[in-house]
Amino acid sequence: MHGKKENMVVCILFALLLYGGFLLCLFMPGPRYLESERRAPAAAPVLTGDALWSGRFMTGFEDYGMDAFPFRDFFRSIKALTAGGVFHRLDNNGVYVADGYISAMEYPYDDKSLDRAAERFRYIYDKYLTDENRVFLSVIPDKNCFLAGEYDRLSMDYGEFERQMAEKADFAEYIRISDLLEREDYYKTDTHWRQERILDVADRLAQSMGTELSKDYETHGVEGDFYGVYYGQAALPVEPDRIWYLTGEAIDNCRVYDWQNGREIPVYNMENAMGRDPYEMFLSGSLSLITIENQDARTDKRLVIFRDSFGSSIAPLLIDGYSRITLADIRYIHPDMLGKFVDFEGCDVLFLYSTLVLNHSDTIK
Amino acid sequence: MLFSSITFLYYFLPLTMALYLMVPKRFKNLVLLLASLVFYAWGEPKYVFLMAGSILLGYGFGLLIEKFRGKRAGRFFCIVSVLFSLSFLLYFKYADFFLENFNAVTGAHIPLLNIALPIGISFYTFQLISYTVDVYRGEKAQKNIISLAVYIAMFPQLIAGPIVRYSHIAGQIEEREYSWNGMAEGIRRFVTGMAKKILISNQLAELCSVFRASGEKSVLFYWLYALSFMLHIYYDFSGYSDMAIGLGRILGFHFQENFNYPYISKSITEFWRRWHISLGTWFRDYVYIPLGGNRLGKGRQLLNILVVWMLTGFWHGAEWNFIVWGLIFALLLTAEKLWLLKILEKSKVLAHIYTLFLVMLSFIIFNAQDMGQAFSDIGGLFGIGGISLLSAEAVYCLKSFSVVLFMGIVGVMPAVRNFVGYIGNKPAGGRILNIAEPVILVGLWLVMTAYLVDGSFNPFLYFRF
Repeated sequence: MHGKKENMVVCILFALLLYGGFLLCLFMPGPRYLESERRAPAAAPVLTGDALWSGRFMTGFEDYGMDAFPFRDFFRSIKALTAGGVFHRLDNNGVYVADGYISAMEYPYDDKSLDRAAERFRYIYDKYLTDENRVFLSVIPDKNCFLAGEYDRLSMDYGEFERQMAEKADFAEYIRISDLLEREDYYKTDTHWRQERILDVADRLAQSMGTELSKDYETHGVEGDFYGVYYGQAALPVEPDRIWYLTGEAIDNCRVYDWQNGREIPVYNMENAMGRDPYEMFLSGSLSLITIENQDARTDKRLVIFRDSFGSSIAPLLIDGYSRITLADIRYIHPDMLGKFVDFEGCDVLFLYSTLVLNHSDTIK
Repeated sequence: MLFSSITFLYYFLPLTMALYLMVPKRFKNLVLLLASLVFYAWGEPKYVFLMAGSILLGYGFGLLIEKFRGKRAGRFFCIVSVLFSLSFLLYFKYADFFLENFNAVTGAHIPLLNIALPIGISFYTFQLISYTVDVYRGEKAQKNIISLAVYIAMFPQLIAGPIVRYSHIAGQIEEREYSWNGMAEGIRRFVTGMAKKILISNQLAELCSVFRASGEKSVLFYWLYALSFMLHIYYDFSGYSDMAIGLGRILGFHFQENFNYPYISKSITEFWRRWHISLGTWFRDYVYIPLGGNRLGKGRQLLNILVVWMLTGFWHGAEWNFIVWGLIFALLLTAEKLWLLKILEKSKVLAHIYTLFLVMLSFIIFNAQDMGQAFSDIGGLFGIGGISLLSAEAVYCLKSFSVVLFMGIVGVMPAVRNFVGYIGNKPAGGRILNIAEPVILVGLWLVMTAYLVDGSFNPFLYFRF
């Protein structure tokens, strides 16, 4: 079947692929940052006798080779398209696209992880809180909750998840918000909810905690496209989002202090909005401890929110009902340290966490 | 180093091939040896010296055996060389198994050695034994240490076979031909093997991992796992063998075939003629026949079968489940030899079902952590333990992996090969294939690169052995 000519063609093509790839790997500079994956690439290992003998050089080189591979994102897209288009896989590395929304398939529900989260919350309760503190808990369902059923993907029993969490953290009054949310409340390419669509959630939380919020907000759009964290993971062509944010009297006049870096920060950090992760514009992203002071407070109520990144966009909406809100992210600060910075006396306390963190609670200190 | 890695495909292979093709013939073995040592040291920098030591011993014993051939000393050196080779294997692979069982039986508390298993030691040890025994049987001893080292350490087959016999390859080490045809044939084989590994086997491995990690097992999930693992191990190992044979061909060698559509077998006897052929024939020629084979009566033959299959199981791993796995095949092969084959010949369909079902069960035992898990996995197939028939995760996996499973099932049959052959023999079909083939090869190469760039999950199963 194969004549000499055909065999030569195969050999020449193979040589082109092999040596074309080799030369590109050798001479094309690798990326300084993997934008789509939001991480630094593995660095080229340093060749030393010790690194060779221990095998560190080899493992380092394997990682470097993959991260620095020319046109990495293009190849990742080819893989994602092949997985879906040829193999009809329903997810690619646990991520799927349905109706323009990208979601991670959060599954299964990890009871031990919920136990651990509840145990860490109870530790805070026992250490800092008394009967005088009103303590609340609310669980934010991830986007998969609203997509999986319709698009035949695996999904946790979110109702059971909430019931279990409420039961395990029975020292807190549970505030249900899942009934207020739908998939449109989330960014299409990101994990997070959209601030402009969660006013009802903020209102429910405020009312449940016995305070009132202003409903007078102005909506602003951030210039440019927002490609969220799932966009890079999916490696598929999906329409980008746009970030909108809300301003109002209380938000405009509040002062935000970042205890981690000892500086004042804006509620909406427009520099971050143009940066690698635009969602970090909300309260400057992942900071361990922040206080928001309401300059025009009508009340002396104070609130401490133990939160994950979802809390960054909802906290500004709650400030109207409080004189001060403290946001603590105990993934980045150990609870034992909080006593130095936070006065819990008479505060309301809200544990506000997404299912994504509660189901992987080993990140909580 | 893994064949299916960016490092191998885009750094090691182009550099090695360039050097290998550029140097004069007399230096090709040296280049091949140096490249092979780098290839091995990439994964096992320390154990490269162990392999070098084994080769030196094999070289010395080969010369001694040749010198004293036909005398008692020749036999003595042959036995000592085999014992030396086996002692390395016993120490590095089986020491902890024996200590563990000794402790369990006697109640002693001898600490385990916890030695890391040198990659490919089972394969190169068998090649060394093949060399010294072949020399004892009359093959010329290799005077050139580089040539012998190339035979043992040649990177295409070094760490996962096929187990190349010295007598088969001795001539090619000294003199081999290079041609466009040979290289193209090798490239086709290499790319096909890699596609089997990356596009089918790795995805099936993912399904097996999901099953193992799942907290909601069901009867469907157990069957899905059993089928997936059966296909996975075939595509993984035969894919590796294809890559090794293909690389060998590119370098001018002809390695023995290692698989021949084993899942179309109609008996276990036939299955083992088609599965891991190089291992089966090695045990036949270096264990079964020296033990007497079928020459010493029925009883002795059955005992020989038992010994050979227990060793075959044990060769695969230092755990009881591997020994049980081997012994099950000994029993089945014995039963077939005595009476079962005659019954199987009566119905091809039943014979296929019988073979596939038992092979599937055997691989469940093979892949289990221990016998407890093996029993539990087999019980799961029949709903033992009160598990439900279906689970959401199993149904999802069935849907998500259906195309991979379908492709996997189709690929274990020679239908595709026969179809391509049939088309290729038609004048018009041949022309179409000649155009389509390079396009498909390039497409496969790019897609496989994409899978490698995207993921880091890529271990070869047979590195465990």
